[in-house]
Formats: sequence, C-alpha cells, structure tokens
Amino acid sequence: MTMLNSNGFVLTTVDELLSWGRRNALWPLTIGLACCAIEMMHAAASRFDLDRLGVIFRASPRQADLLIVAGTVVNKVAPMLKLLWEQMPDPKWCITMGGCASAGGPFPTYSTLQGMDRIIPVDVYIPGCPPHPQGLLYGILQLQKKIKEKGVKKYDKAFEEFKKDIERQGLVPREVTV
Amino acid sequence: MPWMNRAVADRVKFDFKDMEVEFTKHTTNLHVKQEKLIDLLTHLREKEGYKLFIDHTCIDFPEERERFQGVYILYNPDTNERVIVKTWSKGGSLPSVEKLWACARWAEREAYDMFGVQYRGHENLRRMFMWEGYPYFPLRKDFPLGGIPEVELPSLTELYAGRTEPPSHDYELVHTRVPTLEDLERTEKSRLQKKAQLVLNWGPLHPGTHGTIWFLFDLDGERVVQSDVILGQLHRGMEKIAENIYYFQFLPYTDRMDYISAICNELSYVTAVEKLLGVEVPEKARYIRTMFAELQRINSHLLWLGTGALDLGALTVFLYAFREREKIMDIIEGNAGFRLTSAFLRIGGVHYDLAEGTLDVVKAFVKDFPNRLKEYHNLLTRNRIWLRRTKDAGVISREDVFNYGLTGPVARGSGVPYDIRKLESYAAYEEVEFDVPVGEVGDVYDRYLVRMEEMVQSLRIIEQCVSKLESLPKSAPYVNKEHPAVMSPKEDVFMDLEDMVKNFRIVVHGESAPKGEVYSSGENPRGELGFYIYSVGGSKPYRLRIRSGALYNLSIFPKLIQNGTIADAIALLGSLDPVVGETDR
Ligand code: SF4
Repeated sequence: MTMLNSNGFVLTTVDELLSWGRRNALWPLTIGLACCAIEMMHAAASRFDLDRLGVIFRASPRQADLLIVAGTVVNKVAPMLKLLWEQMPDPKWCITMGGCASAGGPFPTYSTLQGMDRIIPVDVYIPGCPPHPQGLLYGILQLQKKIKEKGVKKYDKAFEEFKKDIERQGLVPREVTV
Repeated sequence: MPWMNRAVADRVKFDFKDMEVEFTKHTTNLHVKQEKLIDLLTHLREKEGYKLFIDHTCIDFPEERERFQGVYILYNPDTNERVIVKTWSKGGSLPSVEKLWACARWAEREAYDMFGVQYRGHENLRRMFMWEGYPYFPLRKDFPLGGIPEVELPSLTELYAGRTEPPSHDYELVHTRVPTLEDLERTEKSRLQKKAQLVLNWGPLHPGTHGTIWFLFDLDGERVVQSDVILGQLHRGMEKIAENIYYFQFLPYTDRMDYISAICNELSYVTAVEKLLGVEVPEKARYIRTMFAELQRINSHLLWLGTGALDLGALTVFLYAFREREKIMDIIEGNAGFRLTSAFLRIGGVHYDLAEGTLDVVKAFVKDFPNRLKEYHNLLTRNRIWLRRTKDAGVISREDVFNYGLTGPVARGSGVPYDIRKLESYAAYEEVEFDVPVGEVGDVYDRYLVRMEEMVQSLRIIEQCVSKLESLPKSAPYVNKEHPAVMSPKEDVFMDLEDMVKNFRIVVHGESAPKGEVYSSGENPRGELGFYIYSVGGSKPYRLRIRSGALYNLSIFPKLIQNGTIADAIALLGSLDPVVGETDR
C-alpha cells in the first residue's frame, strides 16, 4: 500500500493493488514428488502453518497459481508436470524445493531430470536436501517480494520464450484420446 | 537368520541330481540348470515349505557366455530358513515363475526393464519403471550411470534472463531422453486392455496416491473390473548408483529411498554391509541405533495415520499426528543434525554420541505419547465412519501373504507373525522385550490396529533402550574404530594423525570388501527391506539389489481392488502404505 491517509482512504495504482492481492494469496498445487514433499507437508501442518501466509493448497491446477516442485523430477514425470503447469491459469509462479528439483541433486543418473528449469521457468530455487520447512517459508516470502518488485508483466516474455522452446523440442501436448 | 542347512540341501539334492549346492559364508546357494528351475522351485515350495517369495533379480556378467544370472531368494516360515536359487539365462531369457508366486510378475518386469532379460510365459512383459519405447537397459554393466545425453534441454530460466558468459549456472546443455506425452499414453495403453466402460487414471500426480503412483482402473459404473499400477515416476536409479560408489557413500542414499523411515533404512543397510565386512558394533551404538530406529518407526506410523485418515476425511488426525512428528523430528535433528534424511548411522557405529539431554527428552516423549495415542483412538477406533470405511475392506488371506511376498504390518495384519526383529535379530533387538501384534481378519481395520499397537511396542523398546543407555558410562565407544574399514569419529580425526590418515584412505579408496555375497534385511515400517550385495572384492559392490517391502506389498493391490469401488481403493492404499521412493528406488 502506498499510503494510508488519515482521512481513511488509500491512494494506489491498480497494478499495486493486484500485486498485493496476488502475493498474499498464493495458492500452490498439491503435488508431492519425493522426500521434499514430506517437509512441504510439515510446513503446511500444525507447527509451521502455511495458511498464515495465505498459502492454501489446492487440488486442481485450474485453481492454483503457484507450483511448488517438491522432490525429484524424473524424466518420466517431466511431461506430466509440464502439462499441469500449462493447465494453471496466468499469472503463475514456480518454486523448486530442494536440490533435486533445482538441479538434479544427488541423482546425476540416467533417469533423473537435471533441474526443473529445463522444463518450466523457475522463480525461486530453494537449496537443501530437504530444505527445512523454514526454508520453504523463506522461499515463499522471497517470491512475495519478487512479485511486489517485479509485478507479473515480465512473465509474458518468459512464456513466449518458453512456448517457442517447447515447440522446438516437440513437447507440445496434444489432445489425448482415451 | 539361518540359511538352508546341510540336511535339507542333501534331501533336495537327492531329487535333483545335477543341482549344485554351495555353502558360502553368509548364504546357501543352489545352482540349477534352467530347464530344472521351475521344477526345483515348485519342489521347494510344495515339499520343503519355502513358501514366502522374498525376491528375484538378475546379475549381469558381460564376460560370461550366458551373461545374465537369475537369483531367487526364498524363505521357509516353519523352519525360519532362507535359500538362494541361481540359474543362468539361456539366450537372454528365463522361464517365468509367476504361476508359482504372483508377485514374481513384478520382479520379472523389473528385471526385464533393467537388464532386458526375456521371461517366457509372462502374461504381460512390459517396462516396469521406464516408459514404452525407452531403448536402453540401464542396469547392464555397459550402460553409464549418467545415461546417454541426446536431447538439448536448455535452462528456461537462463533463456529468459539471457545467457551470461560465464553461465549463471554450470550444467550440461545436452540431457538424457525425456518421454513425450505420446510415449506415456503408449505406456498406459500397453498395460490394460479396456474391457468395461471407462478407464480411469488415478495419479500419478494425485494427493491421494501417497506420491507418484499411477493407477489404472477399468470401471463398470463404480465397480473396478480390472486395474494395474504403473510405477517408475520416482525411479532415480538407486541400484545403479550403488554400483558406482563406495559402500559408505551409499548410506545417505538409503535415507532417500523410504524417506519417512530414514534411520530404519540405514540400519538395514549398515547391518548388511557390516556382515559383509565383518564389523562388530559396540554395545552403546547398538542401543542408540535401536532407540532411534524405533523412534523413526513411530514417526513413520504417525505419517501413515495422519495421511491415511486425511484421505478418508479426518483432517484433525492429520494435524494431531504431525504435532507429534515434529517432536520426534526435533529429537532426531538434535542428534543427527538433520530432520528427515538424517544419515545418522555409520558402518561400525553411529555418527555422533548422544547429544546432551537426549535421554531426558526421549523420556518425556515416552511419558507423553500414550495420552496422544489415546486421542487418536478416541477419534478413530470406534468412529462409525472409520469403521464403515475400513471393516471388511481389502481382506488379505494367509495364502496371499506368501503368494505375494507380503511382509511387515500388512503380513501381520493377516495373522502371519513375520517380524525380522524377532526372526533375525539385529542391533539390540535380541536384548529388549517386545511383542509382535497380529491381526485376525486381515482387513484394512486390522492393519490399522496392528500399526497402532506397534507404536505401543516401540515405546516399550525405547524405554528399555533409555534405561540401558543411562547405565552405560559416558565414555563408552559409539563406533568400532579399531576395524580397518570403519571411519573414526570426527573429534578423533581432528586430534589424531593416525585416525586422519585412516579416514583419508577410506574416503579416497573406499573400504575393501571381501569376495562374497550377503542378503540381510531389516524390519521396516513398510515391511522387509533387504539388501542383497554381490561383491567381487574391491570397494564397490558388483551388484546391490534392494528388496523393497513396499513394492511387494503394493503388488497385491490390483487383486484386492478387483470388484471393489474407487472409495475402497483409497482406504486400501492407505492401509498398504507404500512409499514411492522405495517402490521405485
Ligand atoms: S532434494 Fe533431497 S530431500 Fe529433496 S527430493 Fe531430492 S533427495 Fe529428496
């Protein structure tokens, strides 16, 4: 908020207001991949209580605007995660939690994706194996700060790049018939 | 645990003349020709009582004529004896034993996926962990650990921010193969032929599946006609990693398998390696290990309780259980320095001595916890909804326990008192008193009660460990540093040149293990976690096979859910309690 006037009204820009709303109601998608997910659950449970920050886990990607990649992303799961990411409405952000999601972590193997940023653009990387729940809290606060400072505009450019990139790799999801 | 004795081996040899019996230091191996394999296994199962299927895997010997050797590990619950049966593949194929043990279907799929061994007579031999169309067989000796880089995958973050020189982070542009959605669709189609109305995908990224398990249900209305499970969404190549690093280096990886019960995993692993290296463990270390393993067991059961109840709609239990979990994690963090993946044990002992005040905290916890357990019981045990959801759902018979290689609370819930802590005592389990709770009916509710009672028993063990540890002098050794393969504790390394040189040597060259093979297992919260180590000498295992309890326990899922409903699937899966890190490794 720019200014809280003693007369009881506030002057601000629409952008500022939107960003205030967005950063204080980050709704992550409920996805746990591996060990880090346990710490994510701990961060959401009784002691650390993520709800305080307006972080409420949603089970559907259509309702979420934050993807916390908690755990090892293996090659087989990568296209599925990307599909979920694409199902999330704009504006959206991505936090990688832990060494695995950030850069492959302790698994430089044939089956592990060496960093989530090869599939989707990442905003905040949290190191650790697993990071302490406090680490996750800190990461979310950092993301709030980032949203406050940068707004959401920059992401349009990121998505253009990203679209071009997946097209080049032939990873564009098509209609799946069942 | 004893292995097949000479008398039995002679008796079997009488019927199978061209079989060779080999008594190694830690195991009994029966070498049999491939043509006789099914006969021998049938004989062992029907006549000698080797009913429980422990594991099957292959070993790759590129120089040998037939290259792949199949290894079957069986267990006799009446005489409490194990045996290993080995046979060579012929032209890269082995006969399938799925008619004898239903769970062998999964083990064979895995061996096919990892080694490319064909199984004659397998009902649907598909990739277990990788996707259809993946061209390599990763556990073959000629396949590199890092895979074969073939696609260009640049970091999108870097692409957006502009590539800097030098790059903002250090990585290889070329990456191993990533499947497309079409590949995954093909994988799905190959598993299940649609018979009824609709194929429902449950998972892999669904909060109810406890990780990333991918279920396929062929539904007729709400009734499940057939189903299958696709695994591998967390396959990280643990067994391949193990072949490429030293024994002590693999210890932290075991934490990351069944990440909910890290210390129990470590305990199983170090027990196996200590057996191979012949390391004695000091008394104090054994008690510290036992105490922490039991704390971890309570911790793990609490997570099962919390998430299992949450899946069935009881949110309160989840919050309560996590409150207690935090307490245990604090105790672990205070000692190991890490909450979840603690890497607290070492080969030959434990990493640190007990931190000051640990025993007081543990005592306070032990005093407080029974009241908490009462709270959970009040919330669930007589709860009408809970009873309706769990009673008579997913009944497992005693035969199926052996047929599907079930272990842990799932086996005990069906009345099979199979508990490695009693049968093949390790750490200090021989010296403490505890009971093994078993169920009667074998339904979801029984498994719930068994786990609840196990927590009480764990408390008993912890109490005995605490009083023992209190009576031991503070200066008692907590690691057997006399042994040449055991690293000295940190404080000695900084003060003593000899210890430093020794640690330096181990870190650089690894422990040198003798030739031989070991199968040793531990009682994990999720069943028997076994390590089969095949060593040809040197500091790295030639083959390290992880026998995952969770994988075998999950293998009965498609059978149990048949003719059930989707709602049952959730209760059932919660009661089997798989952890994907361990099923996929
Ligand atoms: S970073 Fe560590 S704790 Fe997190 S998923 Fe990877 S291995 Fe597990």
